[in-house]
Amino acid sequence: MMATIADWAAVGCLLVGALLSFAAGVGLIRFPDLLSRMHTAAKPQVLGLLLILVGIGIRLAPEPRVGVLVLIALFQILTVPVASHIAARAAYRTGRIRRDLISVDELQAELDSAEAAAQPDPGPGRN
Amino acid sequence: MTSMIVRAPLHWLAAQLPTVLWLTTMWVLLWGDLAIGTIIAGAVVASLCYAAARLPVIPVRLRFRPLRVLRLASAIGLDLLTSSVRVAFHVLWRPRQVRGAIVEVPMRTDSDFLLAMTSSALSLVTGSVVIELNRSEGVVYVHGLPIESERAVARLRRQARTTEELFAHAFGTSEDIAKFEHEAEGTDRKEER
Repeated sequence: MMATIADWAAVGCLLVGALLSFAAGVGLIRFPDLLSRMHTAAKPQVLGLLLILVGIGIRLAPEPRVGVLVLIALFQILTVPVASHIAARAAYRTGRIRRDLISVDELQAELDSAEAAAQPDPGPGRN
Repeated sequence: MTSMIVRAPLHWLAAQLPTVLWLTTMWVLLWGDLAIGTIIAGAVVASLCYAAARLPVIPVRLRFRPLRVLRLASAIGLDLLTSSVRVAFHVLWRPRQVRGAIVEVPMRTDSDFLLAMTSSALSLVTGSVVIELNRSEGVVYVHGLPIESERAVARLRRQARTTEELFAHAFGTSEDIAKFEHEAEGTDRKEER
């Protein structure tokens, strides 16, 4: 009985995880600019992978190799936000964003005033 | 970050112990069995790596409050779920018309660790990717996804600040929290004006 419940839970996790990963993949193609693509890479992708790992973990449960799954999940959570931050930052700094898709941009105003303050020094003022 | 002054060998050993323990744990997890031999081999490899890489000892000033951490984890988990579903929805429903906004969020903590944790967590919670972090002034710039109105901007800012608050209370030292409360009062007053 317990085994059946665990199996169904595993199936559910795997299916939902696969769906979310699929949505993330489709998002990479369908979203128009890099900043919104970073959202799909950072959120549904992470949750999708986590759910798939949980699904596998339930099936493997008593095995000690579940530890590897925990490590994968941990490093995914630690690295993906940093990666999406760096990609978004580089895109913004090199001007590869679609202005028409951004309704409010408080960073541009800040960078402009920083540049005006550091006039003799060319380039984007500070880090 | 301040450079570490090594006072005594014992002090240095105590400071590197957590890293070595963590590396050993990872080694054991990767091997997938908890035999004594694996643990010893892991400890040896970890110490060798540590010594060879000459990793700096970074003084970690954090506290760990289990209940608050639990609350933080559940809040982030729930947020990750809703934001994933929301982004997935926008993928399927008119993705080319989704407009975002880049919002300035002043942070109230002054701890490097808390800032780093908060900004990476912000990428996982509803509708935001951190684009830029101004360390000297403690301001992060967050890109929010489905944002059309001023109200959505305010909501994003509020959410970023809630995340920060959760982190400060979960991991901050009492000093950090005192500073945080102080700053929070100041910014709240500024907002009211």
